[in-house]
Amino acid sequence: MKKFLVTITLLTALVSCKESAKNENPQESEESKVVNVYTHRHYEADQQLFKMFEDQTGIKVNVINSNADELIQKMSMEGKQSPADVLITVDAGRLTRAKDQGLLQPIESKILNDLVPSNLRDPENQWFGLTKRARIIAYAKDRVKPGQLSTYEDLATDKWKNKLLIRSSSNIYNQSLLASIIVNNGEAEAKKWAEGMVRNMARAPKGSDRDQVKAVVAGEGDLAIVNSYYIGQMLNSSDPEEVETAGKIGLFFPNQNDRGTHMNVSGAGVAKYAPNKDNAIKFIEFLVSEEAQEIFANSNYEYPVISTIEPAGLLLDWGNFKEDPLLLSKLGENNKKAVLIFDEAGWK
Amino acid sequence: MKQAGSNNFFSIRYRLERLKRDSNRWSIFTLAIILFIALPVISIGVKLFAGPGETWRHIVDHLLVDYIGNSLFLVAVCSILVLIMGVSTAWLVARFEFPLRKQMEWLLILPLAIPSYIVAYAYAGVFDYGGSMDLVFRGLGWDFIRIDIMNKTGLAFVLSVSLFPYVYVSSRAFFLNQANNLLEASKMLGVGEMRSFFKLMLPLARPAIVAGLILVLMEVLNDYGAAQYYGVSTFTTGIFRAWFSLEEPETAVYLSALLIVIVFALILFEKWQRQNIKVSSSKSNNTYIHRKESSGWMQFFILLAVLIPVVLGFFIPLAQLVYWAFLTAHKVFNLDFLLLSVQSFGIAFLTAVVTVIVATLLIYFSKWSFLGFIKNIARIGILGYAIPGAVIAIGIMIPTLAFDKWLINTLDQLFSIKIGLLINGTLVALVYAYCVRFLAVAFNPIESTSLKVSKTIPDSSKMLGVGNLRTFLKIEFPLIKTGIFSALILVFIDILKELPLTLILKPFHINTLAVKAYEYASDEMVMEAAIPSLFIIFTAALPVIFLNRLLIKK
Repeated sequence: MKKFLVTITLLTALVSCKESAKNENPQESEESKVVNVYTHRHYEADQQLFKMFEDQTGIKVNVINSNADELIQKMSMEGKQSPADVLITVDAGRLTRAKDQGLLQPIESKILNDLVPSNLRDPENQWFGLTKRARIIAYAKDRVKPGQLSTYEDLATDKWKNKLLIRSSSNIYNQSLLASIIVNNGEAEAKKWAEGMVRNMARAPKGSDRDQVKAVVAGEGDLAIVNSYYIGQMLNSSDPEEVETAGKIGLFFPNQNDRGTHMNVSGAGVAKYAPNKDNAIKFIEFLVSEEAQEIFANSNYEYPVISTIEPAGLLLDWGNFKEDPLLLSKLGENNKKAVLIFDEAGWK
Repeated sequence: MKQAGSNNFFSIRYRLERLKRDSNRWSIFTLAIILFIALPVISIGVKLFAGPGETWRHIVDHLLVDYIGNSLFLVAVCSILVLIMGVSTAWLVARFEFPLRKQMEWLLILPLAIPSYIVAYAYAGVFDYGGSMDLVFRGLGWDFIRIDIMNKTGLAFVLSVSLFPYVYVSSRAFFLNQANNLLEASKMLGVGEMRSFFKLMLPLARPAIVAGLILVLMEVLNDYGAAQYYGVSTFTTGIFRAWFSLEEPETAVYLSALLIVIVFALILFEKWQRQNIKVSSSKSNNTYIHRKESSGWMQFFILLAVLIPVVLGFFIPLAQLVYWAFLTAHKVFNLDFLLLSVQSFGIAFLTAVVTVIVATLLIYFSKWSFLGFIKNIARIGILGYAIPGAVIAIGIMIPTLAFDKWLINTLDQLFSIKIGLLINGTLVALVYAYCVRFLAVAFNPIESTSLKVSKTIPDSSKMLGVGNLRTFLKIEFPLIKTGIFSALILVFIDILKELPLTLILKPFHINTLAVKAYEYASDEMVMEAAIPSLFIIFTAALPVIFLNRLLIKK
C-alpha cells in the first residue's frame, strides 16, 4: 500500500516539478530576454513576424493563443501575477474591454504615436491598431448592380427582403458594426436597423464569413456582409473551388457618400502588470514597423495601419475608399449595448 | 418536551456513534478525492450566491426559451439516433458471423477518434456550395440538390454519428460478456432471435446502454464548436455568450448551474433505473458467445447495417479531411508540426494515467468505506463531464490562483523567496482540469467492470487477513484490468480532442493538435485544419484498435 501511495505522490511531484522548473519564473530569471504574448491572432504571418522579432532582438516570444474573451478573463483572474506582457486581439472592441477592466496600461512611445493614426488607437494610449479591415458588402454579380447598393442602413429596407446573408450576432465583427451604427445614428435607429436586417435575412445566421460568400454564389441570398480580407484569402485559397466562388462576387464599400465604410483593427496593448514592459513596447513598435506592416499587408490581405506602406496588389485593385473615421474606442464602449439590441431584435 | 429533546439528543448521539463506527481512513481519503474533484464546481457554486447579473432578465425574455428548446431537441434526437446506431451494431457484431466482422468491430469505435466539431466542419464542407457533393454531382452531370446541414437537425445528426460509439462500446461489452448463458436458456425454451433480443437482452443490457447514453448526452450538452458553427443556440453557447459577449460571469454561472441540475437529474435517473433492475449475473462468464451463421442475403444486410454508421461517422468526414489535407499539405506540414504531435500525445497519455488512477481510487476508497452516503456523493466526482470546458477552466483558476497567490505572498513575506505561479500557467493546472473534466469517462467503465467482480473474492481475501490495497492489487486489479484499460484509452482520446479548457489553461511553449486545428478553423481556414485533425484521428485510432482487442480477448 505504501509503495502504491509513494508511486502516486512521486508521479504527481515529478509532473509538477518538471513543469514548474521549466516555467519557473519568467519575470525573474529572464527579465530582459522574453516577451509573453496573449494573442487571438494565429495567422502564419504572425508566426513569421514573431520569428523575425526574435532574430532581430534576441528576445524570445512566448505565445498563448485563445479567444480574446478567454484571454481577457484569464488576465483578469491572474491579476498582478499574470505573466502576460502583450495582449493582441482581432478587433478594437475587445481591447477597449480589456482597458475598461484595468488590464492594460498607458505607454509612452513616440514611434507608436507617430505611426498609428489617432482614430486607430486608444485616446489614452492603452492600445494601438496593427492592421485594418473593412466590413464590406459582397454581392452576386449576376443579380445585383452596384448602383443598387449604397449604405449599411439601406440593407435594412424592404428592398432587400430575403436577400441578405450575415453571420451570427455572437461574432465580434457584427457587434462592432452595430456599435458603430449606435454611435453614428443613435440607439433607437440602431435597433430599427437590426430589426430590419433580421427581417431581410435569407436564412438564420450561421457559419463563417466565407460561408456567407459561398451562399451568395449558391443563390441562397443576393448579398452578404463580410470582412474584406476573407475575400482576399478566398481568391488565394488552396481550393480551386473557393477561388472560383470568390471570383463570382463583387465587392462594394458602403457609405461612401456619408461617413465611410466601417473599419476595425486588430491591435495590441501592454498588460497592466507586464513583467517585461520594455520588451512589450519594443514588440509592438516592431509590429508597426515598415517591414512588419509589409508582411501583414501582403500575406493576409489586411490594410496596413501606417501610411507609408501600400496595401497588397489585390487590395489596390479594389481601389481607394472612404473610411469611417470613428474613434475605434467607441466600438468597445458600445459593445454590450449592441449585443443586447441583437438579442432583442432576434438576431441569432 | 424534555423527553422529545433527549430522544432527539440520543438519536443524534446514536447517529454520531454510527458515523464514528462506520467511518475509516478510506472515508477520509474518499472525501479528500471528492473535494479535490469538486473544488472547481464548488468555486462556481459559491459564486451563485452573488445572484445572476443584470442581464438575467434579458436572457429570460429573449434567449432562454431557445436554449432550453434546442438543448432538449438535441438531447431527444441524439438519444434516439445513438441508441439505434449503437445498440443495433453492438448486437449484430456480438451475435452474428458475417464477412469483415472482425474489422467492423473496431471500425465502429473509430468515429470517437474525430472531434465532433471537426466532423461538423467536414460535413459542412461535404454539402457546401462548391463542396465535395457538389463536385461529384457536377462530375456526373446531374443537378446538385443542396442539402442544408447547418441547422439543429443537422447538428443532431453530426453529434450522433460522431458519438454513438459510446453506446456501442458499453452495450457490446455487455453482450459479449453476459449474454451467453441467458441466450442458451432462451433458445432452449424455443424463443426466437428477435424476441429474445427485445424481451430479454435489451432490458438486461439497459444499465450498460444507459451508461453509454449518458456519456453521449453530456457530450451533446457540452458541445460548443459544432453548435456555434451551425448557428444553434444551446445552453453551452448561451454560457459563452453570457460570459463573454454580455460580460456577465454571474449570469454564465447561473446558466451553468441550470445545466448542472439537468445533468444531475440524468445521473440520478440512471442510478434509479439501475437500482430497479438488479443485474444478477455477476459471476464472470468465460464462455464466448456463440455467433450465429446466417445466409448470404442476411450477411449482406447485416454488413450494410453495421457499415452505415461507420461510413457516416468516420469515412465521410475522413474522406473530406483527406481531400482538404491534400490541398493544404504544402502549407501546414513540417517538422514543428511533428514535434507538436508528440507533445500533444504525451500530455494526453500522462493525464489519462492520472485520471484513471484517481477514478479507480475514488471507486475503491468509497467501496471500502462503510459510510453509505459516501458512495452516493462519490458520484459528484463525475459531474465535471457535464460542465463546459471553459467553465471548468475558470472553476480551476479560482481556487488554484488563490493558492498560488497565497503561496507567493507567504514565501515572500516569511523567507523573502520570490516565486512565480506554481499551478497556473503550468501543466499542473491543465492536468488537474482534464482530470476533473474526464473523470466520468474513466469512472463508468471501471465501475461497471468492478461491479461484475463477485464480492466473495475480495471478501475471502480480507478474511485471510490481507489488507484492502493488497487485495486490490493482487486480486481485483487483474479482474478489472479490461475496465481500467478501456478507461485509459477513452480518456486519452477525449483529452487529445479537448479544446476550450486547453485553450484557457495551456502553458506557454505547449501546444496540442486540437488547439492547432482550432486556430486554423477559427481563422476560417477550415481546410488547413485538416492535417492536425487527421493527426488527432490517427493518434486516437491506434489505441482504439488496441481497446477493441482488449475487449475481445476478455
